[in-house]
Amino acid sequence: MPGDVDANQIGQTADNALILIVDDLRSSRSMIASILNAAGFPNHLFASDGVEALAILEREPVEMVILDIVMPNKDGFDVCREVRQRLRLNVPILIQTALQDADERASAFDAGASDVISKPIHPHEIASRVRLHLERRRMLDRLQRYQRRMDDELQAAEAMQISLLKSDEDVAAIASPRGADLWTFYKASNRLGGDLWQVFEIDETRFGLFMVDLSGHGVAAAINAFRVHMLTDALSRHRSRPARFLAAVNNYLCQMLPVEHFATAFYGVVDPSVGKMDYAIAGAPAPIVLQASGGWQALEGSGLILGCAPKTDYEAYEVDLERGDRVLCYSDGLYENFERPELSLEPADIARLACELLPVERGPGFLPALIERLFEGPDAQSQDDLTLLFLEVRGHG
Amino acid sequence: MEYRIEARRDRLIVSISGVITFDDHEAFRQIVSEIAGSDPSMVELSLAGTKMIDSAGIGMLLLAKDKADKSGKALILSGVTGHVAKVVELSKIDQLIKIV
Repeated sequence: MPGDVDANQIGQTADNALILIVDDLRSSRSMIASILNAAGFPNHLFASDGVEALAILEREPVEMVILDIVMPNKDGFDVCREVRQRLRLNVPILIQTALQDADERASAFDAGASDVISKPIHPHEIASRVRLHLERRRMLDRLQRYQRRMDDELQAAEAMQISLLKSDEDVAAIASPRGADLWTFYKASNRLGGDLWQVFEIDETRFGLFMVDLSGHGVAAAINAFRVHMLTDALSRHRSRPARFLAAVNNYLCQMLPVEHFATAFYGVVDPSVGKMDYAIAGAPAPIVLQASGGWQALEGSGLILGCAPKTDYEAYEVDLERGDRVLCYSDGLYENFERPELSLEPADIARLACELLPVERGPGFLPALIERLFEGPDAQSQDDLTLLFLEVRGHG
Repeated sequence: MEYRIEARRDRLIVSISGVITFDDHEAFRQIVSEIAGSDPSMVELSLAGTKMIDSAGIGMLLLAKDKADKSGKALILSGVTGHVAKVVELSKIDQLIKIV
């Protein structure tokens, strides 16, 4: 191509972007083409009016349009509008105009032009602007492609993470025959999260409730949540003893997690047949027992966060659960408000709200109602990952 | 989060104010490298002006403690009140980092 020679003369490699030059004067078209050749843009198409230009734009992968305004059949403004509105193309359009009127130039932008250049054309100006707009368009395209790919990947990862959690039916199949109802809620603050809950069958009368919150948010926290999920499968032999179970999880996490990462967790083993829950806590908010009698208590007990000190012992606690008692387990996303610290809640605030709601909403409606009240809408817009487990003890018979 | 570093003869005092969250990771890394490169053998993280801390923030304190240990320095937390005190109480990190 003739342009290659010129481009090499000024030390640039040719840019093969397909540029459409639209002008009713043959002399103008060839002048612009030779300027572009010299600047290292040798790949052109030509149109002598708006109708022809639009026909080309519909079938060719044009990357840049240099457009005259005053032309027969269809003028530059109309071409601009049709490219944006009908063809829905975001190709950069450089409008060349002899009109110096500011309103006239503004209406070029309104019609969808990317830039306006004055006639008579200055070779250096047109080459610079073509280069600038091509670069800008390509950068935007790259960003959009990257974003689409990241979105797709996050969506796939999010689906994987949600698939770790048991379905409502699977949860009911464990809790119900053992004399309890259990409802769950999980939402990541930003697609992927570091919260995880699990329900384990232990024996004919008992089941385990495990809730873990990996520090941080997003991808790193989610990867750690996957690790914990695998870990709890491997530690099934300790599932009947909460303190032993957390100690074992801790020992593994100490090896697995970098120094600035850790986890908080609650693990309870519920036995409705004898009205009791054994549990242990590692840095997690203490679950709240909402008593059948109408009172409430935050479970006593605490323990060091997981993943920091190997061979930590966790204390074993137990609580009596009467028929009709309920247990609310929640992650810190429920009560901490980092944007407005003064709006953060205390356990007493959560308990009071729960007690208010219970006469109205019980069973499956309780958690959605609680979230709606706390986040002023049915969709929790928590800044942190949010997990809730709500247990109702029916007892046997 | 904002911080101020004051080097005294016997200790380095890092006063942290505002909210310590995930978003402060870069700034906190800076603090950690200042701790490692400082002369005094005692480092005091003063949290008197810290309103809130999230789990990533606790992680940064653990990182600071780790770096202090590795460079042969003692690290203590001071001015632990309000939300920070509650998080410390829940997480039991007073078993890992000395609080005065």
